[in-house]
This record gives sequence, structure tokens and C-alpha cells, in this order.
Amino acid sequence: MVKKEVEKLLKKVQKPARYTGGELNSVVKNKDDVKLRYAFCFPDSYEIGMSHLGMKILYSVVNERKDAWCERVFAPWEDMEKFMRENDVKLYALESGDSLDEFDLIGFSLQYELCYSNVLNMLDLGGLPVLKKDRTSLTPIVIAGGPCACNAEPMVDFVDIFLPGEGEEVTNDIIDLLIKHKELGSTKLEFLKEAAQIQGVYVPEFYDVKYNEDGTIKSIENTENAPQKVTKRIVSDLDKAHYPKNFVVPFIDVVQDRTVGEVFRGCTRGCRFCQACYITRPIREKSPETINEQCRSISSATGYDGISLCSLSTSDYTKIEQLIPMLFDWALKENINVSLPSLRVDNFSDELMEELKKVRRSGLTFAPEAGTQRLRDAINKNVTEEEVLRTALKAFDGGWTSVKLYFMMGLPTETLDDIKGIADLAQKVVDTFYRNPNREKGKGVQVSVSCASFVPKPFTPFQWEPQDTPESLNEKQKHLLSSTTSRKITISYHQSETSVLEGVFARGDRRLGEVIYKAWQKGCKFDAWDEFFDFSKWTEAFNECGLTTDFYANRRREYDEILPWDVMDYGIRKEFLIEENKKAHMSVTTPQCRIKCAACGANKLNGGKCDARS
Amino acid sequence: MPEVKKWAIDVRMSFEKTGMAKFISHLDTVRCITRAMKRANVPIWFTEGFNPHAFLTFAMPLSLGFESLCETVDFRLMEEVDLNELAKKINDALPVDITVKEIYVYETSPNYIRWAEYKIIFNNPDSLLLDKAHSVLSADEIIVLKKAKQGRKKVDKEVNIKEHIKSFELNEEDGKLILQTVLSSGTSININPMLLIGALVKDTATDEQDVDIIKVQSYTEDMKVFR
Repeated sequence: MVKKEVEKLLKKVQKPARYTGGELNSVVKNKDDVKLRYAFCFPDSYEIGMSHLGMKILYSVVNERKDAWCERVFAPWEDMEKFMRENDVKLYALESGDSLDEFDLIGFSLQYELCYSNVLNMLDLGGLPVLKKDRTSLTPIVIAGGPCACNAEPMVDFVDIFLPGEGEEVTNDIIDLLIKHKELGSTKLEFLKEAAQIQGVYVPEFYDVKYNEDGTIKSIENTENAPQKVTKRIVSDLDKAHYPKNFVVPFIDVVQDRTVGEVFRGCTRGCRFCQACYITRPIREKSPETINEQCRSISSATGYDGISLCSLSTSDYTKIEQLIPMLFDWALKENINVSLPSLRVDNFSDELMEELKKVRRSGLTFAPEAGTQRLRDAINKNVTEEEVLRTALKAFDGGWTSVKLYFMMGLPTETLDDIKGIADLAQKVVDTFYRNPNREKGKGVQVSVSCASFVPKPFTPFQWEPQDTPESLNEKQKHLLSSTTSRKITISYHQSETSVLEGVFARGDRRLGEVIYKAWQKGCKFDAWDEFFDFSKWTEAFNECGLTTDFYANRRREYDEILPWDVMDYGIRKEFLIEENKKAHMSVTTPQCRIKCAACGANKLNGGKCDARS
Repeated sequence: MPEVKKWAIDVRMSFEKTGMAKFISHLDTVRCITRAMKRANVPIWFTEGFNPHAFLTFAMPLSLGFESLCETVDFRLMEEVDLNELAKKINDALPVDITVKEIYVYETSPNYIRWAEYKIIFNNPDSLLLDKAHSVLSADEIIVLKKAKQGRKKVDKEVNIKEHIKSFELNEEDGKLILQTVLSSGTSININPMLLIGALVKDTATDEQDVDIIKVQSYTEDMKVFR
């Protein structure tokens, strides 16, 4: 419950319902009935955080326990932060209204690198020391997970424990252990030492990192009996894994405000630029019955009128043809709309198209990622131009008139010819529409080309590659605009400086902690938002610390260089990644996992099992 | 083919929106109640277009930050159900601070709303506020700045709201100042109490944000309670 002094502030801010709590299905317990209080923090706005599936799952995992209470905390928007600081109101959790410093365990979800400054800001607003060395008592313990935990090094000054991999089980392990040590009255060190023995728990202070004179890493040494490498945790069987029976239903419009059915984890495609593919392996599918049941339960508990199926490449789900009719059977009767994001162009069947026609059609999105076949081969995006056009034709037959095409810029081995190829491909999609006699009459076609800047990430074959410089990207963006002639095509692309920062943190080391701390002190926050991002402050911070962004982002790394994330074991073999990197430079593709197992090594995490091989 | 006439009945649900629910905007309230109807499996009439949606008619949108004891929403039921049980079911499917009062067959269309009664509580009134309020409310005219549009331009217009104040009563209670007043409300002219509050606190040290506003009742032209 929000306290009275906060209520006064709420009358002055935009969208006050972000800060009130009390949403349907939010869990309120009596704090005296639980042994541990967990604040799940999402370091971005309410609207972004409330759309995140991982948070919904972990919220439900913890709240199912009788002895613990999980609450939600989001980064307050600028106006609210200002009033909070002026009135000495600390950042509070939405369920109880209690401030962060009253919690035992504080967990951050690190979904993207540009949220790092918000983590510091939230700790500070919550009344806690930002630096972990200044938090000396047993509680609160600050933990963090999410994709960025695969290279947590830039954040080790602020976070006590990182949890690489999936959180369903390890969260419970950490809670059990912290309850035990609270009852024993242990010190923080005693707790951390025992935590480091749990699989998938990385306690960074137990690892000594030494550097060479050129700034590269000389050695990483484990101390205090912590394992040499931390192996990420996975859930073995998704049919048995915990999944929420309901979602908290926000009052205000959030980004993803509907039922989400998770279909499978991992990805079989092996696109060389894509970190999500490699860090979520091995492949584990859910049965259609489980997915159907979960969607039904959440829909009836929330009153949502839409369902999204969610995974890295939903149409690669082997039982999609069974699942879709199952869902449609009840959803359509109840006026519930089913949408399937991330469909791939190469397995879009006629039957699926017919089913999709029954529901409201949204735009159609393809991600060819690169403009020419040569570059698509280099990044292992196994899609041909012919396939893109054939699928577009099918979609136009089905009545679609707008298509979104996703590309990347700054990919390894890319030339200006590849950039022109983007415009050419978009033009061919436009031509396909007008050549089609069955097209929707009286309507024009709209092709939106969206170009992201490529950022090399850990645990991908491109982890050694230099990132393209902003100058080069600007030149390429201009080239793309001048290569586009049709008014049916709209082009959009990203600001390139945010990509620099993203790239630096993605492959950064521990020395960046000082930079993040200084930048936060200068007022950096919400760096993922254009209206807040201030690169000049970041540049100042880098200069003051004597570090450069070039060293982290734009330098080619040798295969034998010790990488900051070598302390993590995500199952993927380094030799496999080196092999894939070499093949990229030769524009040689690797078939997707279901055609031929590429022996990435991730199946060892699941006792040798991988659903792509069954 | 002759159209098959389905059984249907138009009903009104009255509800209260209090406590923290005052921070839910009108549009969000609409969505919230739509979802509650869905959760409670209310056999409500859906529009029949390509994109069917539940058809709900709200009487007057309530400003963000106001509480209300007299909100209504009208809808069509396609099956015969016990209205008291239905009210309970919907109430169970709503968040705590939105409470269903009653579901009933109505006679008056929301277009007939002409007046609304507000209870306005100044939590921290300046010592001068009571006298100031008395003199402002008793004056022959009460000029306030109202936001208006001139073509596309947004301008502040001076308006006399005297004739739109049907009645008022001022009381002091535990150091708070309470104003109970009936103001013009409805589709043609609607006076937001914030306008009046602005005029009252002007030149005093009272914070106009530190005020609780509760909509108590709606009335028709002849001051009959709208229900």
C-alpha cells in the first residue's frame, strides 16, 4: 500500500498508476508471516518491466512459497524521481509500499546493457549504498540475472551475486540459503561462500582478475573454493517447470499487455550474430497441451483479449500445427485474438496462413538481416531472396499490404554493396506486390525497413569481431537512403552512439565499474531512451577513468585472448565458436540444428539431451 | 431470411472508484472494467464488426485524481441472469478500490445529467481560506481561466462560472476545510472543480494539489438524483 506522503506526490506526476500498485493479481502478504522479503527490480519504466515474461515467472515462483514474499520495483520516471528526492521518499515496492532498504534480497533483471545506470540509481533511491563493498551486513543481498549476466563484469562493483541462465530453480536455492543464514546470524561472507557452491551462482568477489599492460586480461583466478568456471542453470523439462497461473494486470497500457504462452527455449538456427540463440541452448520444447492449458488459465484469470506465443522463433516449434487449432478452438469463441510473433519466412505453411486469416491480421514481419546472399551466408541467416519474395507473395495473396523488413548494419565483412542490397531487396518486395494479380485492390503496399546497428556479443561466433565505428555506420546509413528510390519504402535506423555503449558493456571488463559509477554521478540514467541518453557525459566518465570505448568495442580480439566472460560456462564450446567465426569469413553456412547437429556443446547442460536432436 | 431476435436487456452498473483507484485514468478504467466483465464471464453484447469488442457506455469521464461514489456504466446483457449475483461476480473480478454498488434496469439516459455534487476537502488550508472562499463564492461573478481552443491554438479564456454553481456549503472539521458544492456537469457544459479550487486558493498559501475531491452524486435538470 502506498504511504500517505507518496499519495501527495502522485497527484503531481504523469501516469500515477505506475506507482500505486494494487493491480489485479498482485500478491499482498503479511510481512510478519514470511521469513524473507524479495524485491524484484526491473531497471526500466513500469511499462517496459510489466511486459517482461521472466519477471512474471519469477514473481510467481517466489510467491508460491509460504516463507517468502516477492514484490515489484520499477525505475521511477524523471518527474517522480524529482519529487521523491525533494521529499525524501525512498524507492518503494508496489505491493507493500516499503522501501528497498527493508528487503532481504534485491534482484535485478539485466535485459540490456543500457539499463546499468538505472540499477545504480534505483539502489540509491531505495536508500542503499550503491557500491557492494559499502553494504556490509548480511542483508540485503543484491543479485542479478538475465541475458547480461553472461558477461556481468562491468557490474561487479554493485552486485553481490549473478545468476547466469534460467532463474526458476536457482532463485529458490538462493532464498533457502539466505533464510538459513539469517536464522544462523551469519556474516555476508559466510553466506556468499556457501552460495558460490551452488551451480549457476557467480560471486564475483571470489575471482581475482589481473591485466596485461595493454589492458587485456592476464589471468582470472578463483579463490575461496569458488568453482573455476560458473555453469549456467537451466530448467530440464519445461512441462514440469513452474509457470504462472495468472499475471498481474496493469491499469495503464504497457508494451506487452496480454497473455503470453512460452513455447520453447533455445533456438536451432545458429545465426552467428544472435546472442539469444546461443545463450539459451539447449533446445527444450513444451508440449502443446501444456501451452494450451497455461494460456487458458492466464486468459481466464486476467480477462486479456489477446494471446501471444513467445519464443525465439515460434514457427520453428515442431508442434505448431497441433497447437494453433487447439488454441483457436476456445480463443475465437471468447473473442480472444492469437498472435504469433517472430515467424520465419522459410516455414510459413499454407495451413498456418489459413489459420492466421481467422484472426485480426497485424503487420507481417520478416528479418532477412542482410541485403545480399553473400552476407546472409556469412552471418548464417539461412534465408534466400527467393524465399523472402515467395513468402511475401503468399502474404499479399492472403490480403496483407504492409510488410516490415528487419536488417542489421555494421555486420562483419559488410561492404557498401551489401547495404545497397537492402534497398534492392525492399524494392523487389514492392515489385512483387504490384506484379501480383491477387493483391488487395485499391490499396498500396507499405514496406518498412528497419536497420539496427550490429553489436558483437559474448558467446557468439562474432565475439572476437570489432564493432563498426559510428563514422562508418553513418556513412552506410546515408548510402542506404540514397540507394532507396521508392516512396513505398520507409527506412528507419538507430542512433549509433547508444550502440557504442551497448557494445562496450557487452564485452567489457571489471574496470568499467568505475566508468558506470562516474557516469551515474553525472546524472546518466535511462540510457536506452533517446530523450535521456547523453553520450558526452559517458565520454567524460571514460576520460576520467583513462579508458577508451575503442579498446572494448572496435578492437579485433585474438582467439587466444582471455575474455572477461571466460569465467562463465554456457555449455557452448569455444572451439565451436572459433570454427563458426572462421566459416563466417569464408561465407560458409552451417545447417540449422534439426538438419545436422553442429555440436555446439550446450546439450551437456541437460544430460546430453537436446530437443533439436530427438 | 428473417432476423432472429435474441433476448437482450439493457442494464446499468453503478460503482464507486475510491482510494488508490483515483489514479486510474478514464481510459484505463474502461479497459479495467472490460477485463473484469470478461473474467466474470458476463454475457455482454459485443459489437459485430471484424474486430468485435465489448460495448460499454460510461456516463461521464472522471478526471484523474478524483474519487467518485456515483460512477455508472451501461451495457446490454444477452442472457437472463440474476442481477444481484452478477453484481457480486463482477465485483469479485475487480481490483479492490473499484466497488460495484448495484446493477439495474435504467430509465434515464446519461444525456440527462445536468449537475454533479462534489465534496472537496482542503487538507491543509491556509487560515485565510475560509473567509476567502466565502467572499469568492458569494460574489456576483467568479472569473476563472479556462483552457479553450481557438481554432488549433490552445488559449486561456476568462469565464464567469457563477451561474454554474448551483449551491455550496463550507465547513471546518479537524483543521480541514470542506466544501460541498453542486456544479454544472454534462455533455454541453461541464465545470471541473479544479477551476473553482484554483479561484479559491489564489493569493492564499493553500496547496491546490493537497486537496481531495470526491464526486458524490449526479443530478438531472430538476435536481433529481441520476440513477
